[in-house]
Amino acid sequence: MRTLLTTILALAVLGLIAVALTGLVPARKTPVQQRVAGDFTSAGGQGEYVVRVADCAACHTAKGGKPFAGGHAIPSPFGTIWSTNITPDPETGIGSYTLDDFRAALYDGLRKDGTCLYPAMPYENYRKMSEDDVRALYQHFMNEVEPVSNQVKETRLTFPFNQRWAIRAWNWVALDDAGFKPRYNDLVRDRGAYIVEALGHCGACHSPRNLFSAQDGTDATAQAFLTGGEIDGWPAPSLRGPASAVTNWSAEELKAFLASGRNSHSGVTGEMAVVVQDSMQFLTSKDLDAVVAYLRGISGAAEQLPARNDDKAKQTIALLNAADPSMDLGPRLYLDNCNGCHFTNGKGAKGVFPELDGNSIVVARQGGGLIDVILNGARMPSTESNPMRLAMPGFRDRLSDKEVADLATFLRQSWSNNAGPIDETAVVARRQKLAAH
Amino acid sequence: MSTKVLTTTRRAFLKKTAASAAVSALPAWTHEPAPVPLEQYQSQFFTADEWAFILAATARLIPSEGDGPGAIEARVPVFIDLQLAGDFGKGTKWYLQGPHDPNAPPQLGYQSPLPPAEAYRAGIANINDWCRSNHGRPFVELSPKEQNDVLTGLDNNQIVLTSTLGVNFFDLLLQNTKEGYFADPMYGGNCKMSAWVHIGFPGARASFREWVGVNKPYPLGPVTIAGERA
Repeated sequence: MRTLLTTILALAVLGLIAVALTGLVPARKTPVQQRVAGDFTSAGGQGEYVVRVADCAACHTAKGGKPFAGGHAIPSPFGTIWSTNITPDPETGIGSYTLDDFRAALYDGLRKDGTCLYPAMPYENYRKMSEDDVRALYQHFMNEVEPVSNQVKETRLTFPFNQRWAIRAWNWVALDDAGFKPRYNDLVRDRGAYIVEALGHCGACHSPRNLFSAQDGTDATAQAFLTGGEIDGWPAPSLRGPASAVTNWSAEELKAFLASGRNSHSGVTGEMAVVVQDSMQFLTSKDLDAVVAYLRGISGAAEQLPARNDDKAKQTIALLNAADPSMDLGPRLYLDNCNGCHFTNGKGAKGVFPELDGNSIVVARQGGGLIDVILNGARMPSTESNPMRLAMPGFRDRLSDKEVADLATFLRQSWSNNAGPIDETAVVARRQKLAAH
Repeated sequence: MSTKVLTTTRRAFLKKTAASAAVSALPAWTHEPAPVPLEQYQSQFFTADEWAFILAATARLIPSEGDGPGAIEARVPVFIDLQLAGDFGKGTKWYLQGPHDPNAPPQLGYQSPLPPAEAYRAGIANINDWCRSNHGRPFVELSPKEQNDVLTGLDNNQIVLTSTLGVNFFDLLLQNTKEGYFADPMYGGNCKMSAWVHIGFPGARASFREWVGVNKPYPLGPVTIAGERA
């Protein structure tokens, strides 16, 4: 709540500046950042590949809707944002956009008419896109995507967030320079950086937000970049530092997770399951290697995997193995409900049952992901290399709110895990959210 | 006719429970209310006379005397009543048209035009008639020994029921009684998991592989499908 109030206050101040700005300066479209031959045409398939990596469909294709025809609801703290139709339909889509108009949408969050898009469109990241890819994308949308006449719902946020002109001021504060600057003198890691920082817009979820709700850094030179964010009460785990999966998994395991949605440690769940299914699994092996090399580089991952706190883990295993009827409710619920698949060592089974020891969803600061998975279960995506949609059942009918809280707290503090407890009220809130959906 | 055909397959059971889990998505978890005492139970299928028969007959098949709970303590009659009131009783998913061959092998399926609920109704009336003509009283008014003799006679085919049209009433009743005794409490029987506790079955807990090879009984009591602990 406090963050929201400060955000509102900050926006109000920015608003005043913006009034002055919008009066005096017309919206400026960022020009071409790289020289490209005038008759540039993209290599066959390049546009489609960029669409996959940038995951345009994630927002612009509604569930059950035609590809890229918009109308997908994006929940934001300020209200629902409806994604736009980006098919080449001239009336309701982007058919009348020139290349410069198109680039301005990607780089500056500007529509053809000069009004601002909401930053749910990750132009903070897309503005680093290479001119090659911008053109490949443009040519793909104009020539290869089916035009669909679909007038999408108008986004109506509450005041003051419905004042689109104020986004001009936000842009002024939030946006870094356009264009991508390689900085590693290493083709592989620079390619990885480009995919993660620009096309893949990983920071949109995995970076924390600053006072202005902007991404706290948009490249690895920023301390906070990719150190974890939050979506709808779920953690978007940190991808850097000693506790991150990037540091604790081998390069092969990280690659397998992105390509297939599972590895010997875990199975992807939540929003990331959709990212793997619709985007990451389509990356070439070379690009995945680049992403992995870049992430491991910025995370400080070593060849030798770090050791776990084995003594603490052994205590949990001994407690569970004893199956003493006088044990606390948390471990008892684990044995009654979870042990069949995740086992007393909390390690699950490779590629099938996720590890709970060291699991980023389990130990996240935000308990929403863990509570939701206990209540509703989870399902892995179907990927080409691993099509089986393995699922965990939900326990919402089997466990009371207090039982879910006690079980979640046990999971967060067992084996080598060391995270804070989950309160019963948090479970009540997630259940109500589920009922409201 | 063997009652083997009445046993649902594991696959069909799993399919059914998956489907019911999907439609029973409750918004909030609720405690199971304490069941009403058996004397106050309002039967869904049985008439008062039939209900009295089922209480008496199941109490002879799994008596309350001796080790562990009897059919009455485990509320087996409730299980049978609910089953007969539902799809099982109506034979909803069975082929009930002819021809009906009482000597057909079990693979050929159920061999009676009467769905189980109607077979129960006809069978109970038939047994009470037999008891009245041979003892002058209905089954429930016989002594436990006389009741045992009647049931034994049915089991040995010394007493033959003509009204059940090919259904072996005794086999059906015995099978349903065992099922009510050991099925998950969500189906009305096995009250408070008493039958599971009695035999040391650990319930719906999926696995306890860390105890494989440990030469001691598993210490924790059972859990139900609904997550209750005993």
